Amino acid sequence: MTVYGKDFPDKSFNDIPPMTTPTLNFEFPGYLTANKFLSQLADKAILKPVSEHYTLKSYYDTFDWRLYRGGIICELNRSQTVSILTLKNLHTGQLIASADIDSVPKFAKEFPSENIRNVLAPLLEMRALLPLTTLECTRKFVNVLNKDEKTVLKLMIDTFEYIPCRLQLTPVKGYDKAALKVIEALIRIGLVESNQPPLIDALKTQGRKPKDYTSKLNIKLDPNMRSDLAVKYIFSYLLKAIKINEQDTIAATDSEFLHDFRVAVRRTRAGLNQLKNVLPDAETARFSHFFAWLGQITTPTRDLDVYLLDFDNYKKSVPPALREDLNALYDFIDRKQKQAQKNLAKKLKSPDYIAPLIEWEEFLRSPTIKKPTQANALLPIKTLADKRILKVFRRIIKDGQRITDQSPPGERHDLRKTCKKLRYLMEFFQNLYPKNEIKSLIKSLKHFQDILGEFQDLEVQEITLKKFSEEMMNEGVPADTFLAMGVLIQTIDKRRQQAREAFQEKFNAFDQPDIRDAFHSLFGC
Amino acid sequence: MKIIATFNIKGGVGKTSTAVNLAYLAARGGSRTLVWDLDPQGASSYYFRIKPKIKGGSKKLIEGKRELDDMIKGTDFDNLDLLPSDFSFRNLDLVLESKKKPTHQLEKLLKPLSQEYDFIFLDCPPSISLLSEAVFKTADILLSPVIPTTLSIRTLDQLKQFLKKENNKKIRVMPFFSMVDRRKKMHLEILETTPKQFPELLKSAIPYASDIERMGLERMPLGGFVKRGRSIQAYQDLWEEINRNL
Repeated sequence: MTVYGKDFPDKSFNDIPPMTTPTLNFEFPGYLTANKFLSQLADKAILKPVSEHYTLKSYYDTFDWRLYRGGIICELNRSQTVSILTLKNLHTGQLIASADIDSVPKFAKEFPSENIRNVLAPLLEMRALLPLTTLECTRKFVNVLNKDEKTVLKLMIDTFEYIPCRLQLTPVKGYDKAALKVIEALIRIGLVESNQPPLIDALKTQGRKPKDYTSKLNIKLDPNMRSDLAVKYIFSYLLKAIKINEQDTIAATDSEFLHDFRVAVRRTRAGLNQLKNVLPDAETARFSHFFAWLGQITTPTRDLDVYLLDFDNYKKSVPPALREDLNALYDFIDRKQKQAQKNLAKKLKSPDYIAPLIEWEEFLRSPTIKKPTQANALLPIKTLADKRILKVFRRIIKDGQRITDQSPPGERHDLRKTCKKLRYLMEFFQNLYPKNEIKSLIKSLKHFQDILGEFQDLEVQEITLKKFSEEMMNEGVPADTFLAMGVLIQTIDKRRQQAREAFQEKFNAFDQPDIRDAFHSLFGC
Repeated sequence: MKIIATFNIKGGVGKTSTAVNLAYLAARGGSRTLVWDLDPQGASSYYFRIKPKIKGGSKKLIEGKRELDDMIKGTDFDNLDLLPSDFSFRNLDLVLESKKKPTHQLEKLLKPLSQEYDFIFLDCPPSISLLSEAVFKTADILLSPVIPTTLSIRTLDQLKQFLKKENNKKIRVMPFFSMVDRRKKMHLEILETTPKQFPELLKSAIPYASDIERMGLERMPLGGFVKRGRSIQAYQDLWEEINRNL
């Protein structure tokens, strides 16, 4: 039998129904076993057992559930004779693509099957596909026959250890009446039509559920909570993000773990920096210092990751004849990245990291001081949020108005940092304000922030690429590579100029009376 | 899509067993295959354990108000479907005659299925009639099983002359020897001398074999109950040769 051009040995003739045949999926009531079910069904229909296999069913997704969010379930079924990967629609259970594969590669581009790559690549991007859980399953194929001993319906029953059985029903063309009769019988026996993959039940037994990780902030605060408590709550939330991404950052499973780790660290620093006079000074200073260090040690690896992730764009920005000459640059950056990652991993396994982090956790869990000395400690958190956000917003407007074409680049860099602080503050306290209004303000801020970010990134790239070329000179890299890099730097410089020129326009779009009014009305005391 | 009609004026020469067994091989190779049982005897329907019943009979079938697709049944084999026979097919000729352009009717009915199937096998009744002419108009290949006897060769020649007269440019006649018994001297003689007269004769031949006869007992294509042997090899060779000539 051929499925998507791949030949299956006759033994698995019945394993996958043809792609175009619609199937119906049912779930058993928890107490019902496959054998009990079959003996009940045998009263209503002529059954013929075809085969039984023992299979291991493994589910895969990225750490942040990209496939699930995209409506896809990725399942590897391994039995004695075959090993098949299937991508199924989460809601309908219908097959999207499948391939004969022994093990699941980490990244989309590593899959041999083009069909699978085309489905996975846009969803996964740079994230690794990781195993979620594995279920042991006994799969039984049973045919329903008519009086002429012709097969009129095909049944596939999956039995699991701790979760209810599943049944998949495949009708035979032209025998709809028979199918309906059996479906009626199934429902009377207690089966329920359901496309929910066994994955969900399996996760439940582990105390997990789909989409239980997201890098987006969603902190629920009571507006009247005292600030010192609220702020510790925010930091605990961020600490969870740091810890959950830690091991895979050390292992470099994919580049996003480090990215999410860094973002959580940056938000923590912003919190310590911006929400002053809430927590005791000594601790604030001490941990600010620690998180600053943590930010620093993660920077080299992340910067190099970004070069590697965006490298295709670099290639596209130079004439086609020069593109392959840039490969030596990629290799150079790749080597540097591996070394930087090694250094980072070492530091994250050292007491310099582990000890302060434990202390931070203990500090966050320590009981609140009955009579705090900090000025803002007992302030309701909404009051603190209002004050702080408005203050930083006004500063951005003031600093932005001062910037002209002649201003040194340092001023734009500082403005970028201030914008980041405002953004983080607004994201911390999102849930204290009406959803649509604060979302819209964050969006406007982002628009402006992006141009500052682009400008600074391009400036850094120019400098860094020049630095790289100096290092590469001692490594016997061909002259053509330097030529290509020269063209690349020129392209980047042009874009930097464009970003610089766009500053005024983007700032003016942000420095608008309606936005100013919105900020004042939302955060005005 | 290719339409292959198994055809011979004579009965009992292996039309149905050939259609069923080649369709089985086509399906097994991954091609979406349909067998249309046009013979009121309903032999291929019987082989597939499918009731020879068409709602409304030959009249409703040719009328064309219902899509052929609604009447097609899935067999027990992947990629293989059957459009069953009906006893009312004994008067298909009369029904066809009542329509305008009677010999174009099959073509018309099969058109919507051209995207659904890679191969459609037409299992024809033993006769030469209006239905046969309709088959000749739509089929790409006329697969004709011929028992190696003098009378059979004569009938083959008759068919060739008929098609020549009709000026049918589209159809390819592929005769092949069927139910060959190598113990019979006449069979061996015909096997040797006929190819000169009919160069279009296929090289593969199907032997007279008891396992092929058992299809009626097992009620499934030969490949369903036999995995190896002369007979199954013969059908495989035949199918390969047909595909090479396509």
